[in-house]
Amino acid sequence: MSGMKPTNRKAELLLDAAAGGHVPEVVAMESVAGCATTFDPGWEVDPFGGVASLCQPMEADLYGCSDPCWWPAQVPDTMNTYPDWDAGKPSAQGDWRELDSVFPKK
Amino acid sequence: MAAIASIRMPGMVLLALVATGAALAAPRRDYLITGAKPDRLFVIDAAARTIKSEWSIPGANDLVATIVPSPDGRIAYVLVNKMESISGIDLDTGREVFRADLSTPGERVKCMFGFDVTPDGRELIVYELPVKLGLSEYQVEDTRFAVFDTAAGLDARPVRQFPAPRRIHTVLARKDGKSFFAFGFDLYEFDRVSGRQLGERGIRNWTYAQHSIPDLLAFWPASEPTGVFSTPVYSSVPAADGKGEVPKTALLTLDLTSGKLDYHDFEDTAALIFSTVLSPDRSEAFGVYSQLSRIDTRSNALAKRVDLDHTYYSVAVSTDGKEVYAAGAMCDVTVFDPVTLGRRANLKLPGCPDQSLASLRVVRR
Repeated sequence: MSGMKPTNRKAELLLDAAAGGHVPEVVAMESVAGCATTFDPGWEVDPFGGVASLCQPMEADLYGCSDPCWWPAQVPDTMNTYPDWDAGKPSAQGDWRELDSVFPKK
Repeated sequence: MAAIASIRMPGMVLLALVATGAALAAPRRDYLITGAKPDRLFVIDAAARTIKSEWSIPGANDLVATIVPSPDGRIAYVLVNKMESISGIDLDTGREVFRADLSTPGERVKCMFGFDVTPDGRELIVYELPVKLGLSEYQVEDTRFAVFDTAAGLDARPVRQFPAPRRIHTVLARKDGKSFFAFGFDLYEFDRVSGRQLGERGIRNWTYAQHSIPDLLAFWPASEPTGVFSTPVYSSVPAADGKGEVPKTALLTLDLTSGKLDYHDFEDTAALIFSTVLSPDRSEAFGVYSQLSRIDTRSNALAKRVDLDHTYYSVAVSTDGKEVYAAGAMCDVTVFDPVTLGRRANLKLPGCPDQSLASLRVVRR
């Protein structure tokens, strides 16, 4: 944690937990257990700090990310919020033109 | 039918026995089972390089994920419907013979990949993440294991439920049928009948000298043909010069018969690997992602690595060890030579639907 600074209140709570000895209650999850609970890099960077080890091509990984709600900041969450985003578009490499942007529902 | 013939028509006994013997002697073959969007389930004759069957899974709702074959290889249990249902499909007829819809009115239940069938084929053990849906709020409920009777038909309800740790992503039945393993932060073992926790061994809390807390992504539950589950594990060790750390990739193995858990580094992490499988004699392991890797498990060293034409999530090996298969992610299954890792064949799925997270499984019949 020494190299990271909290940028919002939730992140500050993590520091509070560390100070209070409650890190296991707030530590980032090792595996997915619902939407937006992973703490992995997204598609900006791979574990080596580059992009060569991201899925190739990116379409190979598109539904692998949206189906388990892996990285909903970049891919619509088809598990709960946008279940029909990929309906009728079974091939990411063939149907990518049909995959629209989504916007929060008002 | 042979028994009936022998009773009613004694003169036909020899012929009936010959026919039965011929049926028994019919060479068994490896069939690859994979799934794809929106509701596809494929049975592939591996040796013939042909798709034997293409079935539609009712109510798949655009998601086909974990696939678990029954022990006799005749039914595939498939996680579908936004991870809220498990459908059992007869691989010979395509008919749905089992269905467990996990959610109920007021409670949404997801299974994040983790379920398995018991070795006797009689029960499914399913890891459940329930959320109570209120009018103005969602209430996250405690995680649990639910046990289903595979003979329950199309409206299966849990016959037993018991508490489970959070963050489970892989469930694997022990070969004696008495207990099952669950991968989460650590490796747990539970009694199949009572749900009592029998053991807990370190994954996150492993005791691997000098190694950091590891990370793993074990979403692909295949353990055939060896009965030993394997997955890559990533961690780091202090650099020799004392400056910084060196990332390491280890191969974790769990023997589903003996329960032996093992892990050994085999390289300074130089490539990602999503899933691995052991060769029949366990002397090698194969791993895929954007490269295909062969790992010597005797010397714990990377033996060979080749670049692939695209990323694959899931890897399998033939029962005789003479072929390696890669699938998942996109719409093809590719066959490789296990020694050279050269490409032998490529099979495109009809219509080119993405396999995405679907498991690649091998059944021998």
